[in-house]
Amino acid sequence: MKVENKKLTVGSLLGWFVLIAFAVIQIFPLVWLVDFSLASNNEMFTNGLLIIPKVFRFDNYVTAFTDGHFLQYFRNSLLINVLAVVIVLFISIITAFACTRMHWKLSGLVKTIILLGMMIPIHATLLPNYMIYDKLHLTDTIWALLIPYVAFSLPQGLFLTSSFMESIPKELEEAALIDGCGIYRIIAIIITPLMKSSMSTVAIMTFLNNWNEFMMASTYLSSPKWKTLPFSVLEFTGMYASNYSVQFAVMALTAAPMVVIYILLNKHITKGVAMGAVKG
Amino acid sequence: MRKAYSNKAVIASLVAPGLIFFFFAILVPICLSVYYGFTDFSGLGAASFIGLDNYKFMLHDKDFWISLRNSGLLAIGFVCIQHPLAIIAAVIIDNMQGKAEGFFRCVYFLPNVISVAIIAYLWKFIYDPNFGLLNNIVKIFGGEGHINWLGSGTAIWSVLIVLIWHGFGWGMLIYYTGIKNIDPVLYEAAAIDGADKKKRFLLITLPLMKPVIQVNVTLAVISALKQMETVYLLTNGGPGNETQFMANHLYKQAFSAFKYGYGNSISVVFVIICILATQVLNMIFREKEA
Repeated sequence: MKVENKKLTVGSLLGWFVLIAFAVIQIFPLVWLVDFSLASNNEMFTNGLLIIPKVFRFDNYVTAFTDGHFLQYFRNSLLINVLAVVIVLFISIITAFACTRMHWKLSGLVKTIILLGMMIPIHATLLPNYMIYDKLHLTDTIWALLIPYVAFSLPQGLFLTSSFMESIPKELEEAALIDGCGIYRIIAIIITPLMKSSMSTVAIMTFLNNWNEFMMASTYLSSPKWKTLPFSVLEFTGMYASNYSVQFAVMALTAAPMVVIYILLNKHITKGVAMGAVKG
Repeated sequence: MRKAYSNKAVIASLVAPGLIFFFFAILVPICLSVYYGFTDFSGLGAASFIGLDNYKFMLHDKDFWISLRNSGLLAIGFVCIQHPLAIIAAVIIDNMQGKAEGFFRCVYFLPNVISVAIIAYLWKFIYDPNFGLLNNIVKIFGGEGHINWLGSGTAIWSVLIVLIWHGFGWGMLIYYTGIKNIDPVLYEAAAIDGADKKKRFLLITLPLMKPVIQVNVTLAVISALKQMETVYLLTNGGPGNETQFMANHLYKQAFSAFKYGYGNSISVVFVIICILATQVLNMIFREKEA
């Protein structure tokens, strides 16, 4: 028994060592980022790994905040993403209801068609979509982002909601139908409240995927009107090409909202991602 | 009651929005790509139909094959480096039983919530020959420390490391969830039968994780094929086309080289490869199960 115990401690020590090593590798670049963002530009050329700045240069952040259009781009990101999440949830639920509950011949086919979207690489649509939006004068509008964001989040949304909906017993809605309740009201009043857990999974996955997207944004947008948060970083590197510490600051600043949200909702997000990924 | 469930007008109104999005944002663009793939359209002016010339050109386009090779390398990197490490981390965290679990899971996943734009520029700085973190680490170990990591020769490995690093937490999380779903009774029974940790891992954890591993491997191969954003910002395929990936290649062809038609023909092949890869992997794994 004693031997077994000793083995366990050696094993678990090794385990701790491995976990901490991984943690350092994952987190140190971010620590480095924040550290350098607080230094002055001259202090960056050091031989050490981290700098202890003589003066904490919080003014780097002030520059980043104002010249990076932080507030405007943050507002755009938030608005576009919240709208995308709401639309994806709404369409996923009504489509899932039609495909799992209603009786019609093509229900399977329609579901398969939309789920096909999961296999299509987003970036294969960049060229033709640019052309289409250009012809329809949709470039530089919110639609140029909303339409593809919703379309590419929909397959996963539909997949998750319909597999969850199948597990909801039909008795409740059948009783409501007998009482004269219409289909739309059944979806709104009976089904939707029961779907909360899968809805939060869909919302988290949609939000995470689209919040960080910039390829479509940089293709379809050219004026700052609807640009999203990643552009604070992209535009800054040109503007402050030689002032590295300010660039570090703008990166830390634009990362901050998501990091804060993640730390606050950590449990929900990891649960949502795990559910979404295992099922999807 | 059946009548309410088969009301055609209601059904149409429920599925129309989803289908409209699918047609307008996915199907129509892909059809348009197929069309332009047969033309020599430059982006401006008129397009003329040139049949299969773009596809013939692609066969001899060295950069296209480099893109495919790089996707292959990335897929191997994911499956042979990232995933084994992720499984090891997941198993160790599971063995800790509680305490630091939340902390490690949180730390590992953190890079995933940060925008690719920030990650790419952050790593550009890490690789910087003048003040980069990596060169400073090299100096600590006594090296010169002025290596240009994104230069010719090393660039592709530098790109692979960023991608493997970035997705580590995601893989870890999914494997961890898979391990958590294994019935603990099995481990208890094995422990009573005298199986040590190694045996328990090899004979219980791994076999029961098989479906999770299969899904993850499929996702890894697909995401290796789809890779674009990190590469676009980190190297834009360069130096030369050493770190080129398919999506980035087609983008560059259309918008920098003004071969919009050719770019679209790569798009078409890109879609076909992604669909084929998904189907083939699903088939392989399904056969093995049977």
